[in-house]
This record gives sequence, C-alpha cells and structure tokens, in this order.
Amino acid sequence: MSAALEATKIERAPAPAAPLQPGRTRRTFAPFSWLWWTIGMLYLGLPLYGTFVFSLQKTRGTLSFAAYTSALSEPLFLRTFLFSNIMAFSTIIVSLMLVVPTAYWVQLRAPKWRPAVEFISLMPFVIPAIVLVFGLIKTYSRPLQLLGITIIPPLTNSTMTTNVLLVAAYTVLSLPYMYRSVDNGLRAMDVRTLTEAAQSLGAGWPTILFRVIFPNLRSALLSGSLLTFAIVVGELTLASFLNRPAFGPYLALIGNHQTYEPAALAIVTFGLTWLAMILINVATGGKKGATVTGVR
Amino acid sequence: MAFLNLISVSKIYPNALQPAVIDFNLNVEAGEFVSFLGPSGCGKTTTLRMVAGFETPSAGKVLMDGKDITNIRPNQREIGMVFQSYALFPNMSVADNIGFGLKVGGKPVAEIKERVREMLALIKLEELGARYPFQLSGGQQQRVALARALAIRPKLLLLDEPLSALDAKIRVSLRTEIREIQQRLGITTIYVTHDQEEALSLSDRVVVMNNARIEQVGAPFEIYNFPATRFVASFVGTLNTLTAEVVDPATGLLSVHGQPIHAVAPLQEQAGAQVALALRPELLKISTERQGQNGDGDDASENTLKGVIETITFLGSIVRIDVRVGDSVVKLDEFNNPHLKLPKRGDAVTITFGREACLVLDRAARAALPA
Ligand SMILES: Nc1ncnc2c1ncn2[C@@H]1O[C@H](COP(=O)(O)OP(=O)(O)O)[C@@H](O)[C@H]1O
Ligand SMILES: [Mg+2]
Repeated sequence: MSAALEATKIERAPAPAAPLQPGRTRRTFAPFSWLWWTIGMLYLGLPLYGTFVFSLQKTRGTLSFAAYTSALSEPLFLRTFLFSNIMAFSTIIVSLMLVVPTAYWVQLRAPKWRPAVEFISLMPFVIPAIVLVFGLIKTYSRPLQLLGITIIPPLTNSTMTTNVLLVAAYTVLSLPYMYRSVDNGLRAMDVRTLTEAAQSLGAGWPTILFRVIFPNLRSALLSGSLLTFAIVVGELTLASFLNRPAFGPYLALIGNHQTYEPAALAIVTFGLTWLAMILINVATGGKKGATVTGVR
Repeated sequence: MAFLNLISVSKIYPNALQPAVIDFNLNVEAGEFVSFLGPSGCGKTTTLRMVAGFETPSAGKVLMDGKDITNIRPNQREIGMVFQSYALFPNMSVADNIGFGLKVGGKPVAEIKERVREMLALIKLEELGARYPFQLSGGQQQRVALARALAIRPKLLLLDEPLSALDAKIRVSLRTEIREIQQRLGITTIYVTHDQEEALSLSDRVVVMNNARIEQVGAPFEIYNFPATRFVASFVGTLNTLTAEVVDPATGLLSVHGQPIHAVAPLQEQAGAQVALALRPELLKISTERQGQNGDGDDASENTLKGVIETITFLGSIVRIDVRVGDSVVKLDEFNNPHLKLPKRGDAVTITFGREACLVLDRAARAALPA
C-alpha cells in the first residue's frame, strides 16, 4: 500500500518541470538558490534512490534485478498496466477536447466566465475521490430518466460502459491540472491577437486551432497531459470501486503480499513516465524556438 | 465612388456606459493613406476593428469596392492587419509567418516561396527567413508582420499603432519605410495612431477623433494650419497656452498679463471671462527691445507681447527660445542659420505675431491639452 502511494507521488514529481524553456539565457544561481535547489533535489531524489536500492535487494546479499524480472513477468502486471495506459490516453484525449476549446473560448470571448470555470475546475480538490465514486455508482447504476424517458442506460452493467464511466471520472479528476496548464499556456501567448492575425490572413477556425493555437500550446498541453497520465496510472479509489483491472489496485494488491516487487514497479513506472515525456517532446517536434510557450 | 465607405457607423459595446464610436462617416479613395488620430480611448481602434470585421457596428454600414461588407467575416474580407504587439506566430519561422496567408489560401508551394522571397526583399530582411520571431528585434518583427499582411495582396491595409511599442529612433525610420512601401504598392491604407507627428508625416489625409466622434478630416497641412475645432487646434501641434482675460468680446480684444492682444474674430465669452490663448511656436517672431522700436511693431494687425528670455535650446535646424511672459512661458522657434543673432538669457524681448496666430480655446479644448 505504502509503495503504491509512494509510486504515485514520485510519478507526479517530474511533471511541473515540463514547461522547459530552452533558448532562454540560463540564470546564474545565487548561493541560497543553490541551497534550496539541493534541498529540493534531495527531497525528491532520496525517496526515489531509496526505493531503487531497496528494489535491488530481492536476492539476499547481492544487488540484482530479480525483483524486476519477477514483477514484470507477472501477467497481471502487463494486463493492468496496459489497461491503465489505455484509460490514461482516453482520458487525455477527452480532457483535451473538453478543456482546450473551453479555456480558449473563455479567454477569447467570455472572460467574465473565467471565475466560474476556474471554480468548476477546482471541484475535484474539494470532493474526495471516494465521494465522487459513490456518487457515480449511485447515479449511473440505474437508468437515468427524464420525464419517464431513459436518456442514459445503466452504465455499470457492462465493462465497456463502466470504462466509459471511469474515463469520465478520470477526466473530472484531471480537470484542475489540465485546465491550469492550458489556461497558463493561453495566457502566455496573446490568444486574441494571434487569432485575429490568423483570421485577417484568411484562416478559418480549424486552421486557427490546429496551426496556430495548438502548436503554441505544445508545452502546456504536454504538461497537462503528463499530469493526467500520472494521475490516471496511479489512481486507486475509482478503479477499485468500479472494479476495473487497473494498475493502481494491482500495485496496492502486491504491496500487501510482496516485498521487493512493489518497489521495482514504482521505479519502472517512474521511468516509463519520463520516457513518455521525452517521447512526446520528441514526437511533437521539440525544435528551436517552437518549444517556448509563445512569448519571448 | 470611393474605395472604402464608412456610412454612419456607430458602435456601442454591451454594458458600456458610452458609445465607443458615434456616426462615423468617411470615404477613403483607392491608394490613399488615411490616419485616425486622437487621444487614447477616442474610438480609433474600434473603428478600425469594424473595418477589419472583428467588431460588428451597432449601426451603419461599411462598403469596400462598392460591396457591403458589414456582415462579412474577417477571414473573408481580404484585409491585411498589423497589430501593435506584432502578433507573429511564435511557432513559425519568419518565412512561414509571411507565407501563412498564402498557404491558408491554398497557393502552390513554389508560388508561396517566390512571394515570401519577394516580401523579405521588400522589408530588407532577405537573410532572416529561417529565424523565429523571438530571435528578432521589435522593429524587425513589425516589418515581418507588415510583410505577412501584404503577402496576400490585400485590398486594404490596416495598422493599429504599429510603432507604439518601438523605441523612438526605430519608430521614425520604420515610419518612413512604411510610407515608402505603401506608395510603392499603392495599397489603400488606414493607420491608427495617437501620435500627431506620425499622422501628419505619413498621411494623405488625417481623421482627427475625439470622444467617439470625428472632429475634422483633412490633409495634414489643413489640419495643422486650419483646425476646424478647438479640440483639433489643441491636439495637433505644439501649442503655447496663456491665460487671457476677455476685454471686449465684439472686437476680440484680450488682455494677457496686462498687455492687449487682438484675436482674429469676435469672442463668444463675456467681458472679464478667463480664456486660454493658444499660440503656435512657428508663428511667433522675436525682436529685442531696440529692434522693436523701429516702427514695424506699430502695424495694427500685429500683436506684441513683452517678455524676458528664459532659455535658449539649440535643436539643430531650429532654435527653441523660451520667453517668460508674466507667469507663463512662451516657446517659439527660429530657423537656424549662421547669421542668426540670438538674444541671451535675461534679455528683454518683444514677441510679434499676427492676429490669425491667436486661437482662443474653450474649456473642453483646454482640458484636452497635454499637461
Ligand atoms: N471590448 C470592449 N468592450 C467594452 N468597451 C470597449 C471595448 N473596447 C474598447 N472599449 C471602449 O471603447 C472606447 C474606445 O476604445 P478604443 O477604440 O480602443 O479607443 P482608441 O483605440 O482610440 O484608444 C473606450 O472607452 C474603451 O474603453
Ligand atoms: Mg487603440
């Protein structure tokens, strides 16, 4: 259990560093900055290091990757990990489709709605996951009716629809992170003027979104997506109460029954998150200048 | 028929206390360079944005080339726009920025390439096509923005305070460049600025605006020399303002620190009223006390004011002289020449000027004066 929690914590740690800004002149650190930087690095790095060393000690007396071999060869690991990844990517797509147009519209045309949208986006911090999941089960395990007509059939009856429900719930959970990232990205780039510049050059909405807005939101979308990924892959409560074979519950399970494997898995997922981050960065063309959020 | 017609255009923003633009009428000829000049908040940008299509007029119509474009979407108008903040796409190279409009318009790659090259030559940045906007100076960015707007061969070019974010030196050189490019291409242009020097030096015609309305439309020479309203008189040019007291409204007689001054026309104010008297520096002549006695000062059409030299500033082609008259300072300009005999600080002098140099400003116009 504790290993599972630790794993999620570690996974979240790297994400805030995502909006890298190459091309900026590196600032010289004052002595105190160095001190805080070192303390911060130790705070983040030591548990990771400790977990790593611990994970190597499965074979008594020697350091080996035995725990890794055993953990990774477990079929349940692959199944749950794959399942959670699919959930994570679905969530990212749904969340992006929901949040980007909303934040864009708020910024462009309805700034007075900003407080309301921000408030809604923060709801997951106020409502605990356990409350959310019981609310969802209570609402969607029965047909949802309006004026006697069924609008939504019971969702918890089949795995497919339960997965849909899970993705929807994950989207809600990731809302604060996704909305913040996207909103920050939009604020940094003078959306309104860029939109108008594109319009005056003849561009319609799809062109504006896909050639101007999205590319300049790259690092914001990236960090929002990574945070979402980290949350979903490590999530425990929703998945276990909706009884889906996700990675979070699996980690919790082996945390109760095994000693070294959970540590190994924590390290593996941490590494995979970093790998995903690098891959996305490369795939979306992390070339000169284009990485910056849009301002100099 | 003019190329662009704004017919009784008004704009009231929702929830706004006052209209942003009221009954704006203007005809712009093809190839003409027209400036909107006025203080901040007077409605210049709003008017420009209605031409561009980013705002819909609350009333009135916009015609371009005889066609009603009032409700046409901005991306269908073929109007180029340059913004104060440059608004280059940060994710695209200079060449891609310039080619954006052509790419959107589905032009063949070879044609886009050729046009981009042409545009880079036009703004004299041939070497910088591969750079990204953040690698350029402000002046270079704004030139790229201009090239980007022109690349699509727009029917109309709109510029909203394009030079305001730049420093003074670049502002002047880029101003000249904009005018040259505009004349070479013969493109109809509307230029928004709050800087009278920019408006006067660039434009074929200037539209002076105040409080959501047009005050005057005219060539720079007309606007400067024959301001139609007191606001225009006070907003355009460098003015000396002196407090004067009305002595005889019927003959236009005023008193400035006890010295009689004749205005060119009768006054509306009552005798004894305090008014502001505005004098253009370049319409004032100066003579020392001795010179003042040789007779031409007695010319009945000339006004005189006695004062004391306070400072003399050498500005190159002109020399600016500050003369203290009572509790005010009157600035006047002399053209520099090697034979110029300049008075010294502390000399008693007489300032001479014709009656037509006297502009009597009302309270509203005084309020609009820069402090
Ligand atoms: N989007 C808007 N909503 C409400 N009022 C606006 C908006 N844009 C401008 N205004 C108001 O309209 C008036 C004219 O503004 P603007 O056209 O920007 O002036 P200028 O460009 O001459 O400085 C100002 O009083 C301004 O506050
Ligand atoms: Mg403006």
